[in-house]
Amino acid sequence: MNPTPNLIEGRAVSVRYGRGKTAVDAIDFRVAPGRVVGLLGHNGAGKTSLMKALVGLLPSSGELRVLGLDPQRERVKLLESVCYIPDVAILPRWARVDELIALMSGLQPRFSTDRARTLLKRTSVGPRDKVKALSKGMVVQLHLALIAAVDAKLMILDEPTLGLDILSRKSFYEMLIDEWCDGERSVLISTHQVEEIQPLLSDVMMLNEGRLVLATSLIDLDQRFVGLSHDAAAAEQIAAAHPLLRYRQAGQPAALFDGAPPAHVEALGQRFQPSLVDLFVALTRAPEMNRTVG
Amino acid sequence: MNPWNASTPIYRQLADRLTGALLAGDPAEGEAMPSVRTLAGHYLINPLTVGRALQVLVDDGLVESRRGVGMYVQRGARARLKRSERQRFMTQEWPALRARLHHLGIGADELDWKIR
Repeated sequence: MNPTPNLIEGRAVSVRYGRGKTAVDAIDFRVAPGRVVGLLGHNGAGKTSLMKALVGLLPSSGELRVLGLDPQRERVKLLESVCYIPDVAILPRWARVDELIALMSGLQPRFSTDRARTLLKRTSVGPRDKVKALSKGMVVQLHLALIAAVDAKLMILDEPTLGLDILSRKSFYEMLIDEWCDGERSVLISTHQVEEIQPLLSDVMMLNEGRLVLATSLIDLDQRFVGLSHDAAAAEQIAAAHPLLRYRQAGQPAALFDGAPPAHVEALGQRFQPSLVDLFVALTRAPEMNRTVG
Repeated sequence: MNPWNASTPIYRQLADRLTGALLAGDPAEGEAMPSVRTLAGHYLINPLTVGRALQVLVDDGLVESRRGVGMYVQRGARARLKRSERQRFMTQEWPALRARLHHLGIGADELDWKIR
């Protein structure tokens, strides 16, 4: 049996803009079918530029294939089979929901009107509602329903839950998991809400200043990184073993290692499973974190 | 919104939760487990993680995978689970509890044994 081809394959992909500014710096990555890939990074890390390059809206160098197509040269064909919500997504405020559905079915050959109607029944959005009468959360639900009604293999979502309250985010994730993830279709989703997205992910890609600092499945991540909580007295010996990060967890000093630390170091503390948030902080070296509450 | 403990893999926590439900008879022996998609939607976790959790139950001999149909709770799963839980209580939880009772000076006659 042949291995299933990757939906996205990128080798040495760079995205440049303006004069000599590099948004994405020679990254290698792939997205297999049936995955939920979280694209994490601080503002300006290159997430939006990478996503735009994937759908051919920004030129890139290196080798990039999305659904086997070259995003720049075959953009029109690609946009028929990729569902994309950009970070500045807007729906026309004057439009009615059923008008948007009619519009989509005229523009998108793979769009199913029935499917869109079924998806919208999950939400409180009615077919005769006008966009301007909907809350922000409902607009995002509507947007997801519209693009999930496209028969495609890949969805690219640039911070879809930005500015939504917790209930709207939850409904959004529910629709994504229930209605999109079927074991074959994949989604690449960028977000700052690292903690709450973690359970939904199968894989994670972390960008820091245009560089890919981590690309792994969550299963491998569980096995690769080791956290060690320890007493303050052991701090110097722990530091000497060069952990990726030293921090406090529930008031207790802790250190994070890439790979198991040497046995004599491990004996100084209590091993634990570091969270994705801990890793994000360690690998992107940012003082502030957008930790979500809930 | 993320109810999972950050220091244990989520598949492990889900496996524990499903095992706890089986011990309570949900679902009953011989009956179908909820599907991967149902569980993923219910707990809002990745379907692959759900699959991994169910595999833990298969490896523990609690559920069996019937090709193309789904997962079913094995006959005798509850009794076996109860045995291993009893064993764990006797060897791990009870010594700790006994030490605590001793420390606090609480005797058996001071405890309320009625189940309500």
